[in-house]
Amino acid sequence: MATADIHENQTDKKTGHVPNLRCVVVTPERTLFDNLVEFVALPLFDGELGVLPGRSPLIGRLGFGELRTKVAGSARRYFVDGGFVQVRDNVVTVLTNRATPVENVNTEAAARELESAKMRKTTNEVEQAEKTKSVDRARALVRAGTHKS
Amino acid sequence: MAKARAIVQRRQSVQNIKKITRTMELIATARFKKALDRATEAEAYTRKIAEIVADLGTTSLEVTHPLLQARTEVKKALVLVITSNRGLAGGYNGNVLRAATRSLTDFQTESIPVRLEVAGKRGINFFRFRGTPAEVSYTNFEDRPQFDEVNALADSYIAMFVSGKIDRLDVVHTRFVNAAKQVAFVETLLPMSAANVGEAIQSVRQAKPTTSVAATKPKGEPVPYEFVPDSKSILEEIVPVSFKVRLFKCFLDAAVSEQIARMVAMRGATENADAMVKSLTMLYNRARQAQITGELAEIIGGAAALE
Repeated sequence: MATADIHENQTDKKTGHVPNLRCVVVTPERTLFDNLVEFVALPLFDGELGVLPGRSPLIGRLGFGELRTKVAGSARRYFVDGGFVQVRDNVVTVLTNRATPVENVNTEAAARELESAKMRKTTNEVEQAEKTKSVDRARALVRAGTHKS
Repeated sequence: MAKARAIVQRRQSVQNIKKITRTMELIATARFKKALDRATEAEAYTRKIAEIVADLGTTSLEVTHPLLQARTEVKKALVLVITSNRGLAGGYNGNVLRAATRSLTDFQTESIPVRLEVAGKRGINFFRFRGTPAEVSYTNFEDRPQFDEVNALADSYIAMFVSGKIDRLDVVHTRFVNAAKQVAFVETLLPMSAANVGEAIQSVRQAKPTTSVAATKPKGEPVPYEFVPDSKSILEEIVPVSFKVRLFKCFLDAAVSEQIARMVAMRGATENADAMVKSLTMLYNRARQAQITGELAEIIGGAAALE
């Protein structure tokens, strides 16, 4: 449990304001992140979706991209590998195969992956879809990697 | 003194073995706790997936997915047998392999060709000895199966199933019922039935009430969800995820059960060694006493002869 941060910053010490949106990131192996936050940006399959407290219930499909949570001005960012999101009663549950903190994203490896994915030859539709998927993934990874603060 | 000395040596070696089995028991106990923690943590994901499926179910449950299509004729089956890499785990591997052999015989009588895949050195060696070596074998799943590895495996199975190379996937593994009960189990993972996707719903209801905020909502009124893109395509996307999670659970269960089996086996071995040390000590004392008596008899005999 070295890298998981759960119930770490419940209140903003400066203002005493309690953020009332709970963000939970769950992978098949464990619960990676469970915190109260002010804002969550989710990488949906067709673009980004921002969630503030009081959002109406939603179930959505995630794409590859960056998940940002904001609390007291500081942001925490994860690279998310597809999955699902459920928003309900001010709880944002993100279900994903893998979530990597953006700091741990290896940009060079991602760039190499992107190149090799682009070079891949395809002969049928299935392979083409596979290729598009890997290119999208690598591209999102590169983007997340280069934007680390 | 010859017999008594031999017994002392024997007792010493039994004591050494006892030390080893005791240590192995302690190690297995620690590993079991870790494996169980992992399995419990992994449950959160399954529970959430089931919850989403249940939420989707309130809108529409007309789902078609290649993984859900049962084939009328099974032309080729794939059997994955999950065993451990190491032995000294009591009946753990034996039970799994017995169940596997039974299911393989069943396939044989129905004359369905089987592609055999085995995880764990014990199983690999067993099937090699039997003369039916596994087509693919894995030794990378230790007591901490990683989802990434299982994910790759699941992807290859999905590809094989969709392309029609296999029509059925059976997994032989040890199912963890509770800390006192684990059973060798043959589970058909593919084709899935629509009930399988939401199967975990039942376990959610049976499970103790969780502290999760999201889980507490009266069942009567459905939450007016907004679906992005729409409920049908989300459900279709969930089907393979659900399959992967079920496969992952097989591996987690197997890992937990292996450690329990080893723990129990080693505890038994330690107790047996204890009993053996006791009986050997008694034997040694008797032998020593017999020797002393013999010597005394000799002395008395000698003294009597002198008179």
